[in-house]
Amino acid sequence: MAKQFKLPDVGEGVAEGEIRKWLVREGENVKEFQPLAEIMTDKVNVEMTSPFTGKVLKLSAAEGEIVKVGQPILEYESDEEEGAEPVRPPAEKRKESPPVQAPAPGARVKATPAVRKRARELGVELASVRADDPSGRITVADVEKAAGGGDSAKAAATTGTARTAGKEERIQVSGVRRKIFERMTESKRKIPHFNYTDEVDMTNIVAARNVFSRRLGEGVKVTYLPFIIKALIAALHDHPVLNSSYDEKSNEIVVKRNYNIGIAVAAPDGLVVPVIKDADAKGIAQLSGEISSLAAKARTGGLQLADVQGGTITITNVGPIGGLFSSPIINYPESAILAVHRIQERPVSRQGRIELRQMMYFTVACDHRIIDGAEAAMFGNRLIEYLENPYLLRLE
Amino acid sequence: MELRKETGMLQILDIEGNFRKELEPDIPEELLLRMYRTMATVRKFEEISMGLQRQGRIGFYIGAAGQEACSVGSTAVLGRDDWIFPAYREPGALLLRGETVLQLFHQLFGNSLDYNKGRQMPNHFNSRKVNVVTPSSPIATQIPHAVGMAMAARIMKRKDVALTFFGDGATSENDFHSGMNFAGVFKAPVIFLCQNNGYAISLPTRRQTAAETLVQKAVAYGIPGERVDGNDILAVYSASARAVERARSGGGPTMIEAITYRLGPHSSSDDPTKYRDKEEVEEWKRKDPIRRMALYLRRKGLMDERSEKKIGDEIDSEIRAAAKKAEGTPRPPVESIFENVYSEMTWNLREEMEETVQRYGAGYTGK
Repeated sequence: MAKQFKLPDVGEGVAEGEIRKWLVREGENVKEFQPLAEIMTDKVNVEMTSPFTGKVLKLSAAEGEIVKVGQPILEYESDEEEGAEPVRPPAEKRKESPPVQAPAPGARVKATPAVRKRARELGVELASVRADDPSGRITVADVEKAAGGGDSAKAAATTGTARTAGKEERIQVSGVRRKIFERMTESKRKIPHFNYTDEVDMTNIVAARNVFSRRLGEGVKVTYLPFIIKALIAALHDHPVLNSSYDEKSNEIVVKRNYNIGIAVAAPDGLVVPVIKDADAKGIAQLSGEISSLAAKARTGGLQLADVQGGTITITNVGPIGGLFSSPIINYPESAILAVHRIQERPVSRQGRIELRQMMYFTVACDHRIIDGAEAAMFGNRLIEYLENPYLLRLE
Repeated sequence: MELRKETGMLQILDIEGNFRKELEPDIPEELLLRMYRTMATVRKFEEISMGLQRQGRIGFYIGAAGQEACSVGSTAVLGRDDWIFPAYREPGALLLRGETVLQLFHQLFGNSLDYNKGRQMPNHFNSRKVNVVTPSSPIATQIPHAVGMAMAARIMKRKDVALTFFGDGATSENDFHSGMNFAGVFKAPVIFLCQNNGYAISLPTRRQTAAETLVQKAVAYGIPGERVDGNDILAVYSASARAVERARSGGGPTMIEAITYRLGPHSSSDDPTKYRDKEEVEEWKRKDPIRRMALYLRRKGLMDERSEKKIGDEIDSEIRAAAKKAEGTPRPPVESIFENVYSEMTWNLREEMEETVQRYGAGYTGK
């Protein structure tokens, strides 16, 4: 039976070769290792010998012809057993091979050891993960996405997967929680915080809120927050450095002339801070509406990137939960954060008499690189003035 | 201070087969014949292996033709427990110590009987059985290894010595200097055998170094050096015997520069006609170490035309049979690529192996 001899890679990684000269003729009997042809490649000129003992039937390439590696150049017949064909060992011989479970038949998972490790941590079956890359290569991001259970918004909001073993639960830090990790660490590492705490008589604000509440009627929830925002903005007018950020690249303090107030919201997956843009231009009713819509979005994971960007200062309202006062962490790269707490009826002294007033503690945390203690104290006093005398907000 | 240079070259056996009786080493007849057979085997092995490469049956080959006396002559001096740290033109060292041609072919084909399971580059022969360490492709890395082994032997109060081979190009490498210096300072029992074949691939020695000889580099490290005709097996043997004796008796290292020539290309990927002329090659063919040894053996009455031909025929059929056998030996199964990295397979490797087996089937060898 006629067999074909194909041009091998006679050098190292050569693609083609020129048949310089045939050293055998058609019909000639040749022995194994007998020279067959002179081959010239861009790398080497070689004398190619015969891999067989047999008879040359046909020279399929002419002298001077350039032949690709793998292209047949000669036909021959040989009675020899083809020693060149390795015999595959019988399958029974390999019974010791480990049991196979895992992927669906035919499926080939392309994933690096690091990705496999992540999949294992998250309990994700790699065969079920869809690769974003067209080559089918699965990345850590694909695995995390799969762990989050589908669409990207949900994946971004996920806190991570938990593994419970024995007396502890291990929760993977990812999604929102990972973002919180990064931001809080960055803020505390970079900003030398100090806290200034005081108390304020909120009786007049309580009264004002009640008026607004009546005015807007049933169905619209008016909280104290819009009033606090208005007072905060008024106080910032007098102490603008609290409404600033530090530009590391240019080494400049950037004092903002707009008032974008971040509101810390405890969402199911963790803290998020939606921003009320240009709050100074908005009235109590509009602020109320925006606050409740942003808070609702935050709780359902519907916040867009724009909703959480561009803040100039942040308020964290711990009041609905409780506490006397706190020491909040600045929402980097802002320079200050205001924490307000529960409004409580407390006995206080007024003109020599004990009166029951609606009292509230607040804390302002400042970046001490930018804001001096005295500045913060004066800001605190001004904030108290506006909250205790809300009519000033209108008069100025 | 006068700089000592060894510009001369020891020659005992000339190209006509004449030898200097007063310098002739005392080599047992049986060993002499084995040395000859080994050299002739290396030459034939190369002819067949290069053919296998040209036919596309193996991937790569590095020849030793013309340099057989260097490895065979020096290895012949060693004891069984001594160690060899080769470059890549020393199949003769393995064969003389009892490794088989078949095993070398297993390595070239990278089959399941290859000691390295096909993971080493072809022609990087090693054998634990005969104390030949696996070569590394980077130049000169074996030199500090040899020194380290020699130091270990001394610390363990063993008498073993290390022999390391390298080429002319290696003498420009940091590892050469580090190894030589360390061995010189601590008198490590090691023999540095430089096979100066005139070219580092295509780079001629005069472009390699401004030094007149390579062995003069030993002077800088306080190491004795000898320069010998590397195509003269008697000269290589006698210089090596002195070096081994020195090392074993606590006298420290020796550098031997063996002047030789490779008759073939640097490797199957090299075309030497681009940097050497035909006359030069022809001149060195007249200095062929195997022919010279054959003449010597004839003069000693240890071989005649008939027995020489008989040896040649035996070698030829042994090699052809071994090549066939190695080629017909199955490749390592696909699972084997996951083995031998960790003593216990890690979970991720195991997973990958299971996937691979799932995909290709257990025992898959690529065909």
